[in-house]
Amino acid sequence: MAVDVKTTPVPASATLRSRRPGRIPAERLRSFAAFGAPGLLIYACFVLAPIAISFGYSLTNHNPFNPPTKFVGLENYRLLFTDSEFLTSLRVTTILTVIVVIVPNVAGLGIAVLLDRKGWLYNALRTVFFTPMVLSSVVVSIVWTRMLDDEGPVNQALRALGVDQPPGWLSDPRLALYSIATILSWQMLGFCVVVYLAGLQGVPTELAEAASIDGAGPMRRFWSVTWPLLAPALTINTVVLLISAFKAFDHIQVITHGGPGTGTTATIAYNVLQTGLVANRQGYASAMAIVMLVIIAAAAAVTLRVLNRREVNL
Amino acid sequence: MKDARAPWLRPVVALIISAFFLVPLYMILVNVFKQGEEITQSPSSLPVPPTLANITGLLSRTDNLFWASLVNSIVVTTLSIILLTVLSAMLGHYLARSRSRWARVAMLLLLAGLMIPPQVILMPVTQVLRAFGLMTTLQGLVLFNVGYYIPFGVFVFTGFLRGIPIELEEAAAIDGASRTRIFWRVVFPLLRPATASVLIFLGVWIWNDFIDPLVILGPSQGTTITTGIYRSIGQYQADFGTVFALMFLATLPVLIFYLFLQKQFVKGLTGGATKG
Repeated sequence: MAVDVKTTPVPASATLRSRRPGRIPAERLRSFAAFGAPGLLIYACFVLAPIAISFGYSLTNHNPFNPPTKFVGLENYRLLFTDSEFLTSLRVTTILTVIVVIVPNVAGLGIAVLLDRKGWLYNALRTVFFTPMVLSSVVVSIVWTRMLDDEGPVNQALRALGVDQPPGWLSDPRLALYSIATILSWQMLGFCVVVYLAGLQGVPTELAEAASIDGAGPMRRFWSVTWPLLAPALTINTVVLLISAFKAFDHIQVITHGGPGTGTTATIAYNVLQTGLVANRQGYASAMAIVMLVIIAAAAAVTLRVLNRREVNL
Repeated sequence: MKDARAPWLRPVVALIISAFFLVPLYMILVNVFKQGEEITQSPSSLPVPPTLANITGLLSRTDNLFWASLVNSIVVTTLSIILLTVLSAMLGHYLARSRSRWARVAMLLLLAGLMIPPQVILMPVTQVLRAFGLMTTLQGLVLFNVGYYIPFGVFVFTGFLRGIPIELEEAAAIDGASRTRIFWRVVFPLLRPATASVLIFLGVWIWNDFIDPLVILGPSQGTTITTGIYRSIGQYQADFGTVFALMFLATLPVLIFYLFLQKQFVKGLTGGATKG
């Protein structure tokens, strides 16, 4: 996703004007005020400034119900890395992210290959797979909570099949996180299917035919011809899944409230709001938020770098 | 690749897997027409005989839960996506056509915004809104939506603008058109496919937003419909009839919208995927 704002041809007059030292021409200022400024201003107020405020608070013990606010330096950050609750949330977030990045990617690719055919049936099925993406995560969470309830349809079916002690999908502290990861993967899968399908339809048929004439079987053709050309789709899916998993909050808030037990499904995103808006320890919660931001930025940057390298151009 | 040996295999497998993706819709559809106890006892059975009691009960509630939150959702979503489309198209155009170093910096700052989780900024956002006197108001939520989602709009519009030759705008400029006129008369009409993607995606996202309206609107000033569903599971724990009716009515508009515009959904998603 290279941003090339420089490549547009430069009319000679404009370059001459912008080279004049020390003055910004009134015309340029006016067009900035009319076109650039409104959007940037709102963005600055509601995203950039809040990040700066968060960083500021992260250096204090701010708690609106327990003044005065004192500067504590990096104390909050030091505390974070000895706080077992935070370390648990780090582990929970990592497990959730790994599952949610891998499962929809793999299953999505499989389903895309399966649906990569013409005809009304495949069009209709593509619509079906994408549907969970347009549903609200609150709705999805409530429905799956009913489905996976200890006495819900899934366990009723298991009992009917002769399983005496069906698992407590959402009530067993060892299982709940994996159930949530599955629900999240389920919701994101349609996105991956659609993106992979578009990638598959962009693969020129001549290439597959040429490989076929050279004697390559279907598996060989897929791994040597199709898969490398799906690299941009893989990049998009992975980055989107990474970010969605990392900020997973709604499902946890609705389904488990971070439990069962202590923090078995509490992600960092969940803990930030719990600590900040429920327990009102805003200084400490801000430090958590800043750490979260750093991790997500680093993870996205590394992923983009690694995956972009293997993209090929036709 | 041809399915020569077993041509029936592919559609059958595809159908079986897809059934798994219709489960929640099925659950909503059957339970919305069932009595409360039936929902808890046999959530997956068909509603025999079906009842409209849940829906009529919800629509005629004295506290107006459904109608008030529906209006809130419609107002917030509509205002947000209109403002977002206009502002991000203007900003996207400005940045795509600007040659200055600052435009590049602004672009990078905006792209970074694509991955900022709302949890990181929500606490200070409440303070910013309070400072403007906009906390717990619909206007405040709309403004926050504009700030939070503008990176997505700019990303879509600048990507699209890269494929539009600048000569058209230069020709209009030579004819003496002002920058504002050029934008509205030449550029904006050309952006129509990108505008469709932005409107559709942001419309669905903002309609479905949960945590932002929950925190910004607060408990006293009513809710959007999505937050209303969440509130109703806490309040009426036993009354799943109301919860399912609310989920059904909140999902219906999005679903209809999606079924009618699914071609644009796919196009909007895959514009970036194939070009990288």
